[in-house]
Amino acid sequence: MMKKRIVITGIGVLAPNGIGKHEFWSALKKGASGVKPVTLFDTSNLRTKLAGEISNFNPKTILGQKGLRNLDRTTLLVLCASKLALEDAKLPCPVPEKDTDICGVSLGSTMGSVRSISEFDKEALREGPRAVNPALFPNTVINSPASHISIKFNIQGFNSTIATGFCSSLDAIYYAMNMINLYEYKVVLTGGVEELCEQTYKGFHKIGHLAGSRPGKEEIDCPFDKRRNGIVMGEGACIVVLEELEHARARDAKVYAEVLGYGTSFDPESKNIYSPKAKGATESIKYCLEDMGLKEGDIAYISASANSTLDCDVMETRAVKNVFGKKAKKIPISSIKSMIGDSFSASGAMNLGASIGVMEENFLPPTVNYKKLDRRCDLDCVPNKTREQEINNILVNSFSPTGNNSSLTIGKL
Amino acid sequence: MPKINMQNLEKEIKSVISEIAEVEPEKITPEANFVEDLGMDSMMALEILASLEKKYKIKIPEENLMKLTNLKQTLELVKDLVNK
Repeated sequence: MMKKRIVITGIGVLAPNGIGKHEFWSALKKGASGVKPVTLFDTSNLRTKLAGEISNFNPKTILGQKGLRNLDRTTLLVLCASKLALEDAKLPCPVPEKDTDICGVSLGSTMGSVRSISEFDKEALREGPRAVNPALFPNTVINSPASHISIKFNIQGFNSTIATGFCSSLDAIYYAMNMINLYEYKVVLTGGVEELCEQTYKGFHKIGHLAGSRPGKEEIDCPFDKRRNGIVMGEGACIVVLEELEHARARDAKVYAEVLGYGTSFDPESKNIYSPKAKGATESIKYCLEDMGLKEGDIAYISASANSTLDCDVMETRAVKNVFGKKAKKIPISSIKSMIGDSFSASGAMNLGASIGVMEENFLPPTVNYKKLDRRCDLDCVPNKTREQEINNILVNSFSPTGNNSSLTIGKL
Repeated sequence: MPKINMQNLEKEIKSVISEIAEVEPEKITPEANFVEDLGMDSMMALEILASLEKKYKIKIPEENLMKLTNLKQTLELVKDLVNK
């Protein structure tokens, strides 16, 4: 089947180190971290205190005063990102009736409704079924944030939520690409969202997945560094406008990048641990390059999945070496998670949002907090200092400890 | 149960409606229709019902939902139920 060419024509991002593309890219360029003490909930009885929390988030400044009262944080974050993306793409907002059937939504989110479910059920169980606010019930389903995008911006083509854990965003973007390729859709809002919530934070704390959650460990966000011992949780929303190239050209839209390929592979050796042999991650990258006939030498930068856990960083290093061989050490690979934390389902979209900035403003974001070499993670992780560099093709990785592995490549048009 | 001040009841109910429908309190006249004049939807009506039940510790039977069409009727319904 002849594939249609698909490009990115808009971006809306809310990150712990900046709201909107300019703030976000500028922070990445400076190596400015958004990791800070949590204020959304009490951490006094936990070993960990930090997270990539989005401070000063005031959705009314982006979305207006009304209609936001019953929406949860996840939904508000993704609505703001969607609005920013539509505006950035210079598309009418809301979408007019005549164009709405060629537009769709494909969102990656897995735990976005956990807080809403928990709060609703808590009240129903404690005070009885009559005590709950019925208007809060719709928030408890996983496809609620995506649905609100369509409701708010009048997008009637299709609406999907992809929940594949850490890989959700990249998988949602691939779903969007398929919908454009297979049908008559021309414009899709796609990406990912995840809010920082007490329930998931405590869950990750309990399983020892957070940096500093195990006794004697430092609470530090330092991917590829020997001192790493877990993630710092983050939150974020990044929505991009995917558009068929011809449609973008017809309306004279600015094109940031072309989406070149996607690969995915499930690794059954991952049983709550990143697969030590990196079979799935290796295949994911390999299939991604093969998808559009790219060669190893075509990739100039890798936006890493590495998240400051012992295993993920080693697994990604191994996968990159498996695919790129001797060239592996020459390809810069940095982890923006060192600055924004790991935002789970949103992380792939956050990496993509950063990668668009890399192409647009010719810089490599650093892996901050890097100090101590781990011989098992010996790639060029752009330690601590940003680099000026023009980049053509970028590989974005999202790997998980539960089997899913996905990769995406974008390139300059 | 704390005694309900009937004088304040209208003001309080108006405040609940104002918050849920996101309209200015002065627009909520006794006869203003919730749907046609204040732009409310069925979810907002359910929310008002649940909110009043909680606030005044009353049970509004679902069949009375249709009666909640303006402030005047809502006030009368709540008055009846709190006096029972």
